[in-house]
Amino acid sequence: MNGRRIAQGIFWTAFLLAVPWIVPDEYVLHLIIYAGFFVMLASGLNLLVGYMGLLSLGHCAFWGLGGYTSALLAIKQGWSFWLGLPAGALMAVVFAFLLGCLILKVRGHRFVIVTLAFMLLIQLVHYNWVGLTDGQNGLSGVPSPMLVIPGVGTIDFFSKTNFYYLILFFCAVTVYVCYRVANSRVGRALAAIRQNENLAESVGISAFRYSMIAFVLGAFFAGLSGSLYAHYIRYISPDIFDFIHIVEMLTMVLIGGRATILGPVVGAFIFTILPEALRFVPNPFWGQSWAPGHLVQSKALPAELQLMVFGLILLLGVLYMPEGLVPWFSRKWRRLRGGSPAEEVRSA
Amino acid sequence: MNGGKSILEVEGLTIRFGGLVAVSDVTFQQTEGEILSIIGPNGAGKTTIFNMMTGFYKPTAGDIRYRGQSTLGLPTHAISDLGIIRTFQKTMVFPKATVRDGVLIGLHQSSSVGWWEILWNSARKIKEDAGLQVEADRILEFTGLADKAHMEARNLPYGEQRLLEIAVGLAPRPDLLLLDEPASGMNAEESAKTLALIRRIRETGITVLLVEHNMRVVMDISDRIVVLDHGEKIAEGRPEEIQSNAAVIKAYLGEGFQRA
Repeated sequence: MNGRRIAQGIFWTAFLLAVPWIVPDEYVLHLIIYAGFFVMLASGLNLLVGYMGLLSLGHCAFWGLGGYTSALLAIKQGWSFWLGLPAGALMAVVFAFLLGCLILKVRGHRFVIVTLAFMLLIQLVHYNWVGLTDGQNGLSGVPSPMLVIPGVGTIDFFSKTNFYYLILFFCAVTVYVCYRVANSRVGRALAAIRQNENLAESVGISAFRYSMIAFVLGAFFAGLSGSLYAHYIRYISPDIFDFIHIVEMLTMVLIGGRATILGPVVGAFIFTILPEALRFVPNPFWGQSWAPGHLVQSKALPAELQLMVFGLILLLGVLYMPEGLVPWFSRKWRRLRGGSPAEEVRSA
Repeated sequence: MNGGKSILEVEGLTIRFGGLVAVSDVTFQQTEGEILSIIGPNGAGKTTIFNMMTGFYKPTAGDIRYRGQSTLGLPTHAISDLGIIRTFQKTMVFPKATVRDGVLIGLHQSSSVGWWEILWNSARKIKEDAGLQVEADRILEFTGLADKAHMEARNLPYGEQRLLEIAVGLAPRPDLLLLDEPASGMNAEESAKTLALIRRIRETGITVLLVEHNMRVVMDISDRIVVLDHGEKIAEGRPEEIQSNAAVIKAYLGEGFQRA
């Protein structure tokens, strides 16, 4: 058993390290990097939404705060990315903590609304504080990260291959931390609060304290992700606070499998890659006439249809795998191997 | 029991919900190691007293002192830190956690590893986890749930869910355990099992405060009984005194046609 686990570990590590050589072109690598930002976002959000069952609609606020902080420090103050990154994460953490102090005592629907309002407020500030953020235009010219290793040379993360390793490292850290936290007294406390808050309080678990931990930790990873994102795209605008992103993140958590470690990871990849993959689906109506004298020209599905197919896939996913992909597959897998039903994936 | 050290003093406890006085000027005290029961007809205010003792409700007036310290204004988890743990009248378990995981959650306060140890999965954390598992198994053995350790709580039969509640309540090592109708809805056999368990709990040095509706259960097990009716204390004494108390009989059986 143990030997097999080590072998599996070596295989996956080798695979992840080899990705830049496996992928056919830079565009696919770009998509994978893009998914990486969302792995960090969705994993952090999963602590709150999945493990603790508390819906936050303000996660993008911390993403954007991390990104803007580090981008501004780099552009206006000439800070290195390596200082801007922790500064961005710290900014996200500070705001999460202050917001948490205000609202985590009550939680419930008020929390949902306040987190959303907070995100919109932060977006408004970034739109209107033109002197600092250049408003709607956003900030361009955010420098790519560079790493100077004395005696070895300079690693320029402008290269997609190099940036892939950077984001891989941070995704690995995120997933590792979430894994350790979930499998500790903290994870047990979060699950306890989700399942029965009154009972959890009765055995000495402070719902306020642990919801704060989940909230702040999620914001921390969102801040890191935002900083990495800004320095990768080399541009940041208030669009980062758009509501659509929080919908994406929540979908990733739910489709992948909430309260599981791999769920948000799988969800992030599916949600990033699938819409792109649909662009290559052949158009079944190609070459047919849709009106006298008019032939369907496009070989690929039209964009609207791509989105509809994507929506349909999500809908089927929710209908047939309500607990998410990862729990669904691991249940099937266990059953295939004749595992006992008592050993089913624990959502706790 | 007299002359023992006092663990709990409830003084002039009153709570009003709007115009309704749910508990009015109730005073009693409990000595360490004693099994004290609060009984009374439905709506007498028994569970409300538990809710005030554990910080779910704030009393309108009066005081609750635990080992001389007032618990008023403390949040529920802080009261639990002091050593007062309760169970609930309506069955309360962690439905999707296994029986053993439920008890592990209850052991929350026994865990002291810090953040770094959690992140590095330090030797101390691994050792502590193993220790918690042993402790959880010990509690399951004690409550007779050992063979159900891997079942999800929601799949347990009702009687065993109630035992699990007590098991979860024992995990934080309470000094004062508040049991809210632990035998309600149980058949005779289950109820006898629960009573035996309560006795064994007392033998381990835990003081038990019981809220009960079922007279038979209470008479059998209590050292002393406090009787409530319509939020007021109408009697207090040893079981045999209570059994023959006219006010108690009236509260339970009514005064004949006038009250019906």
